Amino acid sequence: MTADALRRHGPFWLSLIIGMALWEIAGRMANPAFFVPLSETLVRLWQLTESGQLIRQFGESAVLFLTGFVLAVVIGMPLGLLLARVRLMRVALEPYIMILYATPMVALIPFILSMMGFGFAPKVLVVFLFAVFPVLYNTIEGARSLKPEMIEVAHSFRSSEWALWREVMVPYTLPFTMTGVRLAIGRALVGMVAAEFFLSSTGLGQLIMTAGQNFDTPGVFAVILVIGLMGVALMRIGLMIEQYFARWRD
Amino acid sequence: MASLDAWLAKPATAASRRFSLALSQTFLPRLVAGLTILLIWEVVVRALAPAYVAKPTTVLLAIPKTITDPAFLSAAVQTLTAVAQGLLISVVLGTLIGLIVGRSLLADRMLRHYINGFYAVPMIVILPLVSLWFGYTSSARLATIVFASLFSIIVNVSDGARAVPREYIEVSRSFRSGRWRSLFEIVLPSSLPYFLAGLRLAAGRALIGAVVAEFFTSINGLGQYILLMSRTFRHDEAFVAVLFLAAFGVGIDMVTQGATRRYLPWYRRDERTT
Repeated sequence: MTADALRRHGPFWLSLIIGMALWEIAGRMANPAFFVPLSETLVRLWQLTESGQLIRQFGESAVLFLTGFVLAVVIGMPLGLLLARVRLMRVALEPYIMILYATPMVALIPFILSMMGFGFAPKVLVVFLFAVFPVLYNTIEGARSLKPEMIEVAHSFRSSEWALWREVMVPYTLPFTMTGVRLAIGRALVGMVAAEFFLSSTGLGQLIMTAGQNFDTPGVFAVILVIGLMGVALMRIGLMIEQYFARWRD
Repeated sequence: MASLDAWLAKPATAASRRFSLALSQTFLPRLVAGLTILLIWEVVVRALAPAYVAKPTTVLLAIPKTITDPAFLSAAVQTLTAVAQGLLISVVLGTLIGLIVGRSLLADRMLRHYINGFYAVPMIVILPLVSLWFGYTSSARLATIVFASLFSIIVNVSDGARAVPREYIEVSRSFRSGRWRSLFEIVLPSSLPYFLAGLRLAAGRALIGAVVAEFFTSINGLGQYILLMSRTFRHDEAFVAVLFLAAFGVGIDMVTQGATRRYLPWYRRDERTT
């Protein structure tokens, strides 16, 4: 531990301790129905974990998240590459993709509810819709910035269409797609919670809803803490993935 | 005179040629694609779905009736007013915090993890908490909107404040301008493009926050209107409201991008985040 490391990391730990202390003090002073101290939240978190409830619900949420997210990447990326390669299709469809990207997808949830009901599929659809557009949009943008010369060179070496995709398009576009993937991770998480709130109640969303309805404020805080930490961890993972694939870019 | 005519005619023909090229190469495929999508939608819904499900023709017919419906109008006014108020709060607060975090190393190291943490939290998890604090009122919606939009502004403004060229600060300092003065007169204008990028994200998130809060608390607004209409099997009216929201989202994108291009041509940052 040098003085330099202390100067760099000291404020962070200090601010973390101050933050936790503030939470604790504010929680003790406030009405316990509205705000609870950190210690109580952690106790409740431990109870939820010990009873197995948290783990089970977390598992349910994770399955939903992963299914929707993986579908979004698996469909969004090839579609984006195809649109980038076939100029006419890109020109024709781009404005509609932009419009869908800018539309608040939550507004579609009531339609999905009344048409698809309460199963697992409508929830996956919500997560998918939240996550697919950043992947699609960034892949198209990336593939579009591919210099035509590169494709020309590949062609003049008699590269087949398949080889062109495998050797040029996919490797070049991956970093851009991964920017989309990072954004999609955050949005898929929002989609997951929205689906669990407004479609059939399952997973962490259900846990937080029942806690809220039972005026179990420590429970609400405990689950929010879990989802918040999930968000931070996923954001980190997304950044790492993005940086890993962007190595060659700079 | 003839040469003048030729000179006048020349750019006109070039422009019209460019125009017809754009017409055939972009407008036409777009029109065809749009019509095809609508046609497929219409046919699929007519063939497979129940009669109440929205399809292009019935949505189109529902537009005049819906946009003159007082219930829809009051819902739209409610939602958009709340979004505007929430954004105003976020812009003032977020710019201030963003500038301080961007320019002060200590504030950055103390607060960065909290800001990034809150930014990563999916905003809708706070709904049960907010409805506990504010009840099922419009304050709960306002709080959700502020929470949803504040952190995008802070993150972007602080990025912008950090990216101010060192020379600007040095020059202002050598003219003995004070700390606050250089913050507001050098750093703030210089980070405007970042601010606009943040505003664009914040506006989108604010809109989502408003709709989600209305779903959750059932207070009057477009989200609640959509929920009510779709529950009573009036999908066409509900879909008109969705179209309105989509138009609002696209409008914000166009205004902020246009403003960046028009007023800040020295900076291009066409990167979309979150």
